[in-house]
Amino acid sequence: MPIEKSDLLQGTLDMLILKIVALGPVHGYGISLRIRQISREVLQVQQGSLYPALHRLEKRGWLAAEWGESEKGRQAKFYKLSAKGRKQLESEESNWNRLAGAVTSILQTAQ
Amino acid sequence: MSWWKFLFPKAASDAQINSELRFHIDELTEANIASGMTPEEARRRARLDFGGQEKFKEELRDIYRVQIVENTIANLKSAFRFIRKAPTFSITVILTLALAIGANSAVFSAIDAILLRPLPLPDAGQLVRLEQFNPKVASPNTFVSPARLEDWNRLNSTFQAISGYYTEDESETSGALPEKITRALVAPRFLRVWGISPALGRDFTPEEQRFGGPTGVMISDRLWRHRFNAAPDAIGKKLRFGTSSGTVIAVLPASFFFPNRDVDLWSSVPVDAPYAQARTSTWYTVIGRLKPVVTLDQARANLATVQVQLGRQFPETDADLAVGMQPLKEITVAGSRKSLWILFGSVSLLLLIACTNIVALLLARRTQRQHEISVRFSLGARRGAIVAQLLTETFVLALLGSLLGLIVADAASSVFRSLARDLPRVEEIHLDARIVLYSLACSVIVTVLCGLLPAFRGTRRDLSSSLAQVSRTQVSTRNPFQWLLVGVQVALAVTLLAGAGLLLRSFQALARVSPGFETAHILTFHISGSWGETADMKGLTQRIDRTIDSLRSMSGVEAAATSATLPGVPGRYQTELKFSEGQIDPTRKIVAESRFVSPGYFATLRIPLLSGDLCQTHLGSLDILVNRSFADAYLAGSPVLGRHLEVLNDNFVRPGEIRGIVADAREEGLHRAPGPTVYWCLSAPLPDPYYLVRTRTEPAAMAETIRQEVHQIEPSRSVFDIMPLEDHLSEAFSENRLRTVLLSFFAATALSLACVGLYGTLSYSVNIRQREVGLRLALGARRGQILKQFLLQGLAVCFAGCVAGWGLATIFARLLSGVLYGVSSSDIPTLSAVVLLVLVVAAFASLFPAIRASRVDPMQVLRDE
Repeated sequence: MPIEKSDLLQGTLDMLILKIVALGPVHGYGISLRIRQISREVLQVQQGSLYPALHRLEKRGWLAAEWGESEKGRQAKFYKLSAKGRKQLESEESNWNRLAGAVTSILQTAQ
Repeated sequence: MSWWKFLFPKAASDAQINSELRFHIDELTEANIASGMTPEEARRRARLDFGGQEKFKEELRDIYRVQIVENTIANLKSAFRFIRKAPTFSITVILTLALAIGANSAVFSAIDAILLRPLPLPDAGQLVRLEQFNPKVASPNTFVSPARLEDWNRLNSTFQAISGYYTEDESETSGALPEKITRALVAPRFLRVWGISPALGRDFTPEEQRFGGPTGVMISDRLWRHRFNAAPDAIGKKLRFGTSSGTVIAVLPASFFFPNRDVDLWSSVPVDAPYAQARTSTWYTVIGRLKPVVTLDQARANLATVQVQLGRQFPETDADLAVGMQPLKEITVAGSRKSLWILFGSVSLLLLIACTNIVALLLARRTQRQHEISVRFSLGARRGAIVAQLLTETFVLALLGSLLGLIVADAASSVFRSLARDLPRVEEIHLDARIVLYSLACSVIVTVLCGLLPAFRGTRRDLSSSLAQVSRTQVSTRNPFQWLLVGVQVALAVTLLAGAGLLLRSFQALARVSPGFETAHILTFHISGSWGETADMKGLTQRIDRTIDSLRSMSGVEAAATSATLPGVPGRYQTELKFSEGQIDPTRKIVAESRFVSPGYFATLRIPLLSGDLCQTHLGSLDILVNRSFADAYLAGSPVLGRHLEVLNDNFVRPGEIRGIVADAREEGLHRAPGPTVYWCLSAPLPDPYYLVRTRTEPAAMAETIRQEVHQIEPSRSVFDIMPLEDHLSEAFSENRLRTVLLSFFAATALSLACVGLYGTLSYSVNIRQREVGLRLALGARRGQILKQFLLQGLAVCFAGCVAGWGLATIFARLLSGVLYGVSSSDIPTLSAVVLLVLVVAAFASLFPAIRASRVDPMQVLRDE
């Protein structure tokens, strides 16, 4: 069953976006596709939360945006990671890994 | 959506957001088509999947909306909450600022009105005063002859127009009793030069400016209201003044104060009058209006050329003359510039002290609020946000302070107006939008000065993170920064006190001066007379002598005299002279103060005769007395009496014979040591000289009797400006007094602020060191030691402040040096007295907190622990 926005922590969505964008310049539609594909349809991001998150990250200076042509020749807004964003991603990733590790070990111990 | 959201442009335009979203929907649609839907179905599904577009477009826009407004409103709310929560603190800050900003705005309003604004006339920058003078001869007479004025006006190429005027005091005799009225007699083009037109009526017609033509007069708004009840049909009415009369042709605007604020009547002098033809009769004060793009230098060069041309045409009268030129505003206000800037400097120092004081208060306050700040930090607030909040608090305080300050400024500027009636343009001082803006600017500056430092210091993370523990275990805080602030305040206060002290000492020295004449029991006044009377000098002299005689014969009058000028009131009339017998030292110019007095002058003022005789009035030759300085300077070692003197370059004063030597007197101003002076014995140097009457009783009590006496002998003349000589003298130094009074007030305020600062900082220090003190007492420290320690701490800082203040004061005093009298700007006794005063006051301010520290109850403190 797909996990929707309400179940997804705000910070987590930001981290996922940063991670996807870190792979290369991409537009909003591309991001939602990739999150779904990579998570094997487990995570489904509502556009209603994707775009506000993108714009917030852009405003914070973690993402840089640029208009360009899509694969099909349409005008699209491409996002890419800024240096500041890369740093942020690194710290969030390590935080997440620590948290996930801690949670996992608790779960395993409790079993 | 709130209304204010419209105030700010959106960073990402709607169009961009729309096309970004459209792209997404298009892609979705295509994906749906690819999975086999019909195009319509595909688009419908895409839209559906995408969800409520409008709702989250709004969300997107919100992200970009500048948050300043929201944050500011939140900060303002919190600022007001803060003020409500700490009323004593807030009121202290607001009142301090109200006083400091108010005083500052008041002085600024005077500077703005007097020095910064152009004169209240259209394109006032084009107005200049023109003078004629002989560069080779020192002479105070720079008036211009009417014929020359017309030549200048005709031949120049840089002026729109040149005109001139002279004034005389006459009596207006339309009413029951003659009333003094000041009349300006003006050259053609008068209104054109000023650039105004009458509020009612018209300018002079050519007929009215022709000799023998009808006399038209323009009257002031004041006279119009007073005499004609502001009736529009005043135009055309007859007005009688002196021995002539005229038809009212115009009422000039109420704001028109030229040539001075006393003038009520303007009439024209015909250019073709026989008495106005001689190039040697000089009487006009000349005003010109430059053409729009002409500079002062161009105009100077132009008129110099014109004058050279006139010199060729009239070699006898014009060859030696040059033209002087100054902006009119400069001449009007130059005298008060220094005083005003000194006051502004002092009042700015005061504001600086107030700011320093508030910084100290805010810092102390922040320490108490560190808990609140650290809580906000731990809740994730950014430092910038907290700084903004703290700054907003300071700004609100500063704003309230400056609003209250405007009320103070309004009151202060009316005090200013009454203390300094003699300042030029003083009637133009008032509060207006510029002053309000200035106050607001002050509050912004205050916010930056006072708020920035405490805000940044109060929000240092290292400080705030360690907060939780600090308050209980801390033993002692030295808070050197707060003590530095106290030192700064003391230093600034010492500076201001030193300035005030020096001014007070000059004031004292001036009062102790022995003027060389007796100022008490002398009543002075004018009796109206017109310049036309000078056509018959014999008659004029007889009239004035007759008046002097009958004044002298009054009971209660000891002596009476006339003089062109008042003794002791600042004013100089330096002329260049020569001995008719030939120069004693041909290389040396003889320059002396010339005074024109009636023979009874010396008896009236009790200036002793040293040798020779007092002068006599007899028509024919003129008698002269010289003072001792003159005899010593120019006739040392040679006989003085019997020599003849003549004034160079002046055809009004005839040569005269030196009859006697009198003692030196401070004629040119009480503050000026007597210089070489020549007294020309002329009872009627001008038609309305000053009358000086020595009374046996209180001079002011004689005023009415004298007025009646004069009315009996001269029923058509008015007596005016009746005032004891001592009042004139004190008025002459009113600017001095204004300076002294204000500076003393600022200095006293500064000292009190510095004391409040000292007291506050020391009390604060005592408060936070209570535990330490309690512990020490418990361990056996004596109370006297504790007392001494705190007292010395306060005094040490003050002493350091005094040393710094001494340095600053010497710089400040150098600014004052031009206005000091009888005291040097680095006067050690004054400075020492100031330092002593500050230390004594500081000792008192430190005493109370120190006593409180020594009374700490160790048991109480330890129990709290």
